[in-house]
Amino acid sequence: MLFLIEYDRNQGEVVTIREYSSTDRQSAETARLDLELELNRRHQKREVVLLEAASEEALRKTHRRYFENLSQLVEAS
Amino acid sequence: MLRLSKTQIDRLGDRLRKGDITEADLRLLDDYRRSFGEAYELVVGAIRSELGLEPTGRPAKSTTSISEKLNRESIRLSQIQDIAGCRLVVPDILEQSRVIGLLAGLFTNTTTVDRREKPSHGYRAVHVIVRIEEKLVEVQVRSSLQHVWAELSEKLSDLVDPRIKYGGGDEWFVRFLQNTSNMILGLESGELQWIDRKKRVSLLLAKHGSDPERREKLLALQRRVQDIEKEETELRNELFQMLRHSLDTLPREEGGSDAISD
Repeated sequence: MLFLIEYDRNQGEVVTIREYSSTDRQSAETARLDLELELNRRHQKREVVLLEAASEEALRKTHRRYFENLSQLVEAS
Repeated sequence: MLRLSKTQIDRLGDRLRKGDITEADLRLLDDYRRSFGEAYELVVGAIRSELGLEPTGRPAKSTTSISEKLNRESIRLSQIQDIAGCRLVVPDILEQSRVIGLLAGLFTNTTTVDRREKPSHGYRAVHVIVRIEEKLVEVQVRSSLQHVWAELSEKLSDLVDPRIKYGGGDEWFVRFLQNTSNMILGLESGELQWIDRKKRVSLLLAKHGSDPERREKLLALQRRVQDIEKEETELRNELFQMLRHSLDTLPREEGGSDAISD
């Protein structure tokens, strides 16, 4: 699955997350460009990234920074 | 899709470095990033199908990260090696070495950057860069402890100061991350030894377990290895305790981000 993430670095929080099928990479990439253009027009600084993982659970393990706060990151795993 | 020349790519990089990004530039960058799609799919697909591993793929680096890299380093856009990539997080350093070996055997043209013994500002991991024709795809391989450190460093950079992950900013954070990285290095060095011994004792027991005298000696050795394993687990728990305690006392600027206290 593909996940299009809009992340606010200053707040350390995901603003939006959209899912696409892995076979629909073209749509996901077009959506990424559209989102970047929109944010640029609004002069909003956000990180926009497209990630591909087997599931959202897998994504949350390899890219914890987007989903967890500092305390959660240092919980023993 | 446009096929951009190297000059066009690097001129785009110069404009991204200056920070005033136009719509036309975003579209050009999008074209450039999409040109890595085929190489990305080939690499990630092979890791999944041939090695049975499940990386999280990042078909293209974010605009923010590209602009920051261009500003931070004297590098041209066409020279950035991690436009496309993926990440594998494995349980321990022994498994990390095994996976690196598998990756080197899977692809014909690779360069391995091993930052485990020589960390970059405390960052420890192994990056295997795969070349598919003229495109590069970076495969990050991290152990679970190296991953915790990297995510922590990134999050502190997001919330406090983007310079932190490159060894800049407030001295407290530099020392905190450096000390944590050193502790993880120590833990992983110990881990490497007991995991290896555990495997060897198991193999010897399977081979010589029917001989009572040898069996007794091997079982004693096995108990010793189990004790070391327990000690390592305690040290690991102490590390996380220390991290939690340190984050409770981290310096906060007045009027700083509320997100830190989450």
